[in-house]
Amino acid sequence: MPIDTAFVTDWGTASIRLATPLALTAMGGVYSERSGVFNIGMEGMMLSGAFVAITTSYFTGSVVAAALAAMAAGTLLSLVHAYLAISRLANQIIVGAAINLLALGLTNFLYRAIFGATGRERVAGFPQVKLPVLGDIPVIGPILFDHSIAVYIAYILPFVAWYVLFRTTWGLNVRAVGEYPQAADAAGVSVKRVRYLSVMLSGAMAGLGGAALSLGAVRYFTQGMTAGRGFIVLGALVFGKWNPILVALACLFFGAADALQLRAQTFGFAIPHQFLVMLPYLLTIAALVGFVGRTVAPQSLGVPYKSEAD
Amino acid sequence: MSRYSLADLFASALWRTVGPLIALLMALGVSGILIVMVGADPITAYGAMIVGSVGSVDALATTGVRMTPLLLAGLGVALSFRCGVWNIGAEGQLYAGAIGATIIGVMPVSLPMIVHLPLAIIVGFIAGALWAAIPGYFRAYRGVSEVVLTLMFNYVGIQLASYMVDTRSGPLGERGAAYSQSHLIADSTRLPILIPGTSLHAGLILAVLLAIGLYIVVRYTTFGFRLRMVGANPVAAAYAGVNTARQIMWVMLLSGGLAGLAGAAEVLGLKYRLFENFSPGYGYDAIAVALLANNNPLGVILSSGFFGALRAGANRMQQTAGIEVSVILIIQALTVLFVVAGVLVGWLASRRARMQTPRQEEVVYAD
Repeated sequence: MPIDTAFVTDWGTASIRLATPLALTAMGGVYSERSGVFNIGMEGMMLSGAFVAITTSYFTGSVVAAALAAMAAGTLLSLVHAYLAISRLANQIIVGAAINLLALGLTNFLYRAIFGATGRERVAGFPQVKLPVLGDIPVIGPILFDHSIAVYIAYILPFVAWYVLFRTTWGLNVRAVGEYPQAADAAGVSVKRVRYLSVMLSGAMAGLGGAALSLGAVRYFTQGMTAGRGFIVLGALVFGKWNPILVALACLFFGAADALQLRAQTFGFAIPHQFLVMLPYLLTIAALVGFVGRTVAPQSLGVPYKSEAD
Repeated sequence: MSRYSLADLFASALWRTVGPLIALLMALGVSGILIVMVGADPITAYGAMIVGSVGSVDALATTGVRMTPLLLAGLGVALSFRCGVWNIGAEGQLYAGAIGATIIGVMPVSLPMIVHLPLAIIVGFIAGALWAAIPGYFRAYRGVSEVVLTLMFNYVGIQLASYMVDTRSGPLGERGAAYSQSHLIADSTRLPILIPGTSLHAGLILAVLLAIGLYIVVRYTTFGFRLRMVGANPVAAAYAGVNTARQIMWVMLLSGGLAGLAGAAEVLGLKYRLFENFSPGYGYDAIAVALLANNNPLGVILSSGFFGALRAGANRMQQTAGIEVSVILIIQALTVLFVVAGVLVGWLASRRARMQTPRQEEVVYAD
C-alpha cells in the first residue's frame, strides 16, 4: 500500500499542534518536580491559562497581552500551591486537587458571567508563521514549519530548559533541592526560594500551555477544555525521566496519539470511538506501569522540607 | 499517663471542629464577593440555596439524594487518605461501580428482590474495587505513584461507561434512544424510596450504616490500627511487622469498592439506568468531603451532608438568582484550601508551642 502523504502530513501537523500545549506545560513541570514539588494543579493552571488567554484576546485583541495574562494567571494559582505546599508544609496532592477544582469552578463561573450561556466567542489567535524555504519542503515543511508561534517556542524551550537544568548553577540548585534538601540547605542554598521559583515557573508555563491550547488552534474556550492534559504531562515527566528533551519527546508521543485518535474517529474503524478517546490516557498508564524500576524520581519529590533556620 | 492537659485536649478537639467551620464560612464569604462582582445579590443567592436544600421536605430529600454518592465516595477517599494512599480516582471507580450494578440490573433473569438487589450492590462494589486494583497493585508492590494512575483511570472509566451505553454499539445501550443510556433496570434491583413522592432512597441508609461501621473498623480493629499506622509512618509500621504493601492493596480495594457503591447507588436508587456522563464530578467532590471531615468516617457524614446541600441548593440558586451552579465548586475548593492553610492556626500554634515546650524536653529524657 502506498503511503498516503496527505494523511501523514495532516496527522504530523496535528501531532505537533496537539503536543505543544503539553510540552510548554511540561517544561515548567520539570522544574517543579526536579525541585521536589509535585504539582497536579498544573491541570487547573492550564485551564485558567486557556480561559484568561481567550478573555484577554477578546477584550484587547492582543495575543501578546493574552499570553502574558495567561502566564500571570498560572503563576497566581501556582503561588497558592507554593505557599501551602512549601511554607505551610501542606499535602501537595490535596492542594493540587483543590486548585484544579477551583480553576474548573472559576473558569465556568466567569465564562458564563462574561460571555453568557451560549456564546462561543472566536477571538484573535496566535499568528500562523510559515518559515521561508523550510516551510516549502514537501511533507516535512507543513508538518514542522507552518505553525502558530507557540509551536516554535515549544521547539526551542526544551533545549534551553535542558541547558539551564544541567549546565548552570541555578539548575544544580534545583536538582540538589529536589534530591537532598538537607545538603543543599547546609551548603547555603535557600530550599524555600528555589522551590517557590520552580513552582511559579511551572504555573507560568502551564498558563502559557493553556494559552497555546485555546489560542493555538480552536480560538475559543469550552468548560474543562484541558480534559486531563495537565495530568498527562505528569505522565510525560515520568516517561521522559525528568529530562526536558526526553520529556518534550514524550509529549510529542502523547500529542501524536491524541491526533491519531481524532483522525481514526473519521475513518469508520470497527473500534468504537470511546476506545479511541481513551488512547492517550491508556498510553499514559502503560508508560507509567511499563517504566517501573527503569526510572528514578527526584528523591525528595512530594516531601515538604522544614529548614532548621525557620 | 497522658502528657496532655485537659485544656489541651479541649483546644485540639475544638480546633478540629471549629477550624473546618471557619474555613467554610470564609469560602462562602469569598464566593459571596464573586457573586457581587457579577452583579447579583449574595443574600438572595445564598437564601435560595438554603431554601433549596433544607427549606422543605422535598428540599431535604434532594439534599439526602445528593449526599448519598458524596458520602459513599467520600468514605472511600477518607479511608485511603488515612492510610497515606492518595486515591484520587473515585470518579472512575464510581463509573465502574455503576456499570457493574447496571449489568446485574438489566440481566434478563427473574430473581426475588432479596437476592437481586444485594447482588447488584455487591457487584457494584466489586467493580469499583477492581477499577482501583490496578493502580493499587502498582502502588503497593511496584512503587508506582498512584496519583497519576488513578487520575488516568478516571478518564478511561468515564469513556468505558459511555461505550457500554452507546445506543449503536454499546452492550448495555438502548438502541435508538435519543441519549446514550442503558435499558431500565429491573424492579427487583431498585433501592426502596424512603419518603413517598420524593427521590430519597435507601442508599442513604446504607451509606450512613457503612460510615458508622467504618468508624468502628478504623478505630477499634487490628485492620484499622494497621491502616492508621501505615498512614502515620509506613517505615515504622514495616518495622513493627505490618505487611505495608498488602495493607495498601486492601485499602485501595476497599476505597475503590466504596466509590463503586456510590455509582451503584445512583443507578439502583435514583436513575434506574446507566447514563453517559451521569456524575457531575462526585468523585472529585469526595476529596473535599474527606478532607473537610479530617478523614474521619463519622465526620464524612456531616461534610457530605453539607456538600450535598450545596449541590441540592445550587439549582434553585441558579433559577432564582441566576448564579452559575459551578460556584459550588469554588466554595468546595476554597474550603479545602482554607482548611489546609489552617486559618487561625498561627494563633493556636503559638499558644500550643508555649504550652508544650517543657513537655517536649521531658519526652527526650523520659526514655
